[in-house]
Amino acid sequence: MLFFRSEEHVDQWCTANEVLKRPLISIDQLWQLAVTWYGNRLTLESRRPAPEEMVQIFSEIGLEGPFWDPKSDQWTSGT
Amino acid sequence: MDFDTSVKLNIYEMVARTARIPTSIDVALGIGSSMADVEQAFLRLSEKRLLVLEPGSPSRIRMAPPFSGIETQHRVKIDDKVYFANCAWDAFGIAAALNRDADIESTCADCDEMLTFQIRDGKPLLEKCVVHFAVPAAQWWQDIVYT
Repeated sequence: MLFFRSEEHVDQWCTANEVLKRPLISIDQLWQLAVTWYGNRLTLESRRPAPEEMVQIFSEIGLEGPFWDPKSDQWTSGT
Repeated sequence: MDFDTSVKLNIYEMVARTARIPTSIDVALGIGSSMADVEQAFLRLSEKRLLVLEPGSPSRIRMAPPFSGIETQHRVKIDDKVYFANCAWDAFGIAAALNRDADIESTCADCDEMLTFQIRDGKPLLEKCVVHFAVPAAQWWQDIVYT
């Protein structure tokens, strides 16, 4: 998850590195994601969101579709 | 509180206070436990994807998201401390986790030009940069360092 000066720079980087161009998110979306994901990380209650919670978190900031669906990702419940 | 939660909270308390991710020795001293027990907790927490350990080194943490155990191009300045983040998301995540104003420095992955971001009063100041997610969510943990 990398910063780029603009979408043009993303295009150049993807071409140079033979990487598929994937979704871009704005700085405001990134901040919302950071607050939702990490806002309570230093507290007793913090835990990694479950897959269905991840889908909801992404959806709430306009990130939808298979790219943002972690349902094939498996892990035991977080502490 | 169970042992693994105590270990996890001690890790985050130390990194917040010192800007450095502790080793198993540091945590063992911090909570009055043995290094072996702490390293077993590190392993369990990494299996739950809450930590990433340095390969072949059970005492050292590479990632306690959003914090990085090594220096990266993503620097987060808060008060008089500099924290390192694992990625763009985590750079903002450090400011969110610590709930403080922050000055974030990183670089454009394409041209290496420095990019700066300010978090003030719980929100980022206007900035036109973008973030590219190269890896689908379902594959993030296949190579979390690359992700």
